[in-house]
Amino acid sequence: MPTPLLFDNTYLDYFFGPEHPFSPDRQRMLCSLLEALPIDASFTAPPPATREEVCTVHDEAFVEAVERCSTGDLPATVRDFGLNTADVPTFDGMDAAARALCGGALHGARLIANGTAGRVLQLGGGLHHAHPRRASGFCVYNDLSIAIQALRSEGMRVAYIDIDVHHGDGVQAVHATDPDVLTLSLHESGRYLFPGTGHIHEMGRGAGEGSALNIPLEPFTEDESYLETFERVVPFAIERYAPDVLVVQCGADAHFSDPLADLLLTTHAYDTVFQRLIALSESHTEGRALFTLGGGYQPDATVRIWALLAHRLLDAPLPTDLPTSWLDRWSHKAEGTLTPTLHDDERSFQVERRDAVETQNRQVSKRALERIAPMWY
Amino acid sequence: MLIQDIMHHPVVTIQATDSISAAFDQMHEHSIRHLPVMDAKDTLVGILTDRDIRYATSALTDKPVARNDAVYTVMSKPPITAGPRDPVEEAARTLRTERIGALPVVEGDALVGIITGTDLLDAVLRLTGLEKPGSRLAVALPDKPGQLAALTARVADEGLDIHSVLSYYEPSEDEMPASHLNVILRVDTMNVRPIAAALREEGFAVRWPLDKPAGT
Repeated sequence: MPTPLLFDNTYLDYFFGPEHPFSPDRQRMLCSLLEALPIDASFTAPPPATREEVCTVHDEAFVEAVERCSTGDLPATVRDFGLNTADVPTFDGMDAAARALCGGALHGARLIANGTAGRVLQLGGGLHHAHPRRASGFCVYNDLSIAIQALRSEGMRVAYIDIDVHHGDGVQAVHATDPDVLTLSLHESGRYLFPGTGHIHEMGRGAGEGSALNIPLEPFTEDESYLETFERVVPFAIERYAPDVLVVQCGADAHFSDPLADLLLTTHAYDTVFQRLIALSESHTEGRALFTLGGGYQPDATVRIWALLAHRLLDAPLPTDLPTSWLDRWSHKAEGTLTPTLHDDERSFQVERRDAVETQNRQVSKRALERIAPMWY
Repeated sequence: MLIQDIMHHPVVTIQATDSISAAFDQMHEHSIRHLPVMDAKDTLVGILTDRDIRYATSALTDKPVARNDAVYTVMSKPPITAGPRDPVEEAARTLRTERIGALPVVEGDALVGIITGTDLLDAVLRLTGLEKPGSRLAVALPDKPGQLAALTARVADEGLDIHSVLSYYEPSEDEMPASHLNVILRVDTMNVRPIAAALREEGFAVRWPLDKPAGT
């Protein structure tokens, strides 16, 4: 079954201004790279999500506030909704742009639910910090949760896997009481990084107890410890939870060059994780998996990581070098120095107390599983 | 934060003349370890803990009491109490220095609440906890007037909202008084490095976020 790549130019309207890190240039660069490489990169344009579809996750009052912000008519309580803040400044057309991104995730979910597609790559979104009545961390509407609700309404059991470097707090909050949605987030510990949550004691609430799994990792976790932790936790969780479909948020901000976080991963770790997730979906969800983009604030690394993802999803052979024409066209977006290869060079970091980082990651993942596993048997 | 903000009330109590087994049942029913003991005029006269009961009734003590003996024969007295408008840190200090687990809260002659070590742990969680998403910004400030004001003013200049402030003196290696105050702010942005870099440039000792280790 071919893997649809979902993209529409309206995604690019989700733009907080030239100084803001969550830039649509990342998608411009990515789409242009995929088109320049010898793969079948034809994009499917999904319809935007409707207001009703947004309201399957968000409160009406919040949606109204976003709509007013979209026309410059800011309500007095705007900051109570997390809007008009440093991270989520308002802009004209905000509601429509956010609905365009939600529409992509939703369309992907429907293609999977009706059997038209197995895996889908949504080239945008991944707005995992958005809460039902609060925008946060560059996220207005929670496209992931809207897609998950659509899958749930088709009776599907969902495992949401979040590899963005930040905790997927919004998605976790939306589905915390739903026993049929597992939210699994691997992230840099909230002790150090935004949003501050994602501790192992957050395991879901009420009927959903045991449906949230958090693995907070130490700053300066490198490839080896990250992959060891991933292997310990993710296959076991998917196997025990037995979902019908995976929804994966593929934030690229755990990369060593990312200006917002500290995990020190290379493209090689990402490549391994992508291949493992695809293999896990083949073996546990009959290949059903919706992948979205997410954070990632160093355009050079972010675009290469997402291009890797697209290649793995399309089962396409990886190019070694990137096209010169593409490098020339976009190098001004990366201070003149785009990496000319898809992968990073082999690289090692001078991390002090590496043993302590590895030990802590091992202990935390062990404790998280010890606490949640009894709820899964 | 005051004791009245975190204390439990109304309080489960026991009469001095009630039996030890009645007290035992009370503790189990409410899953608690401390019972203030009241006399007939509803005045606090002592406190009975689960440990008092264990010691008094154990076969290993010289003269174990019987299940129908009165509470006043084994309770601790006089009770050590706190006032509702005492600061919580004073309650914590009393619990530590007296090596006890709970303080009845008394206003005049009236018992108005009880505070236990567990309540103080909850208070720590509230003081250090996060109710809104934010990023950690840790700065060591020289112990001089105006430093914290300068830091928070600088953060405000960037249009950032401070969700919480936590501070403690940096442990000093010798007997000298600590010269730096560690201040940990939670600010409402995901993108905290620009303000951290600006603060560093202006001479603030930023302890988090750090620069990442170099790679080769």
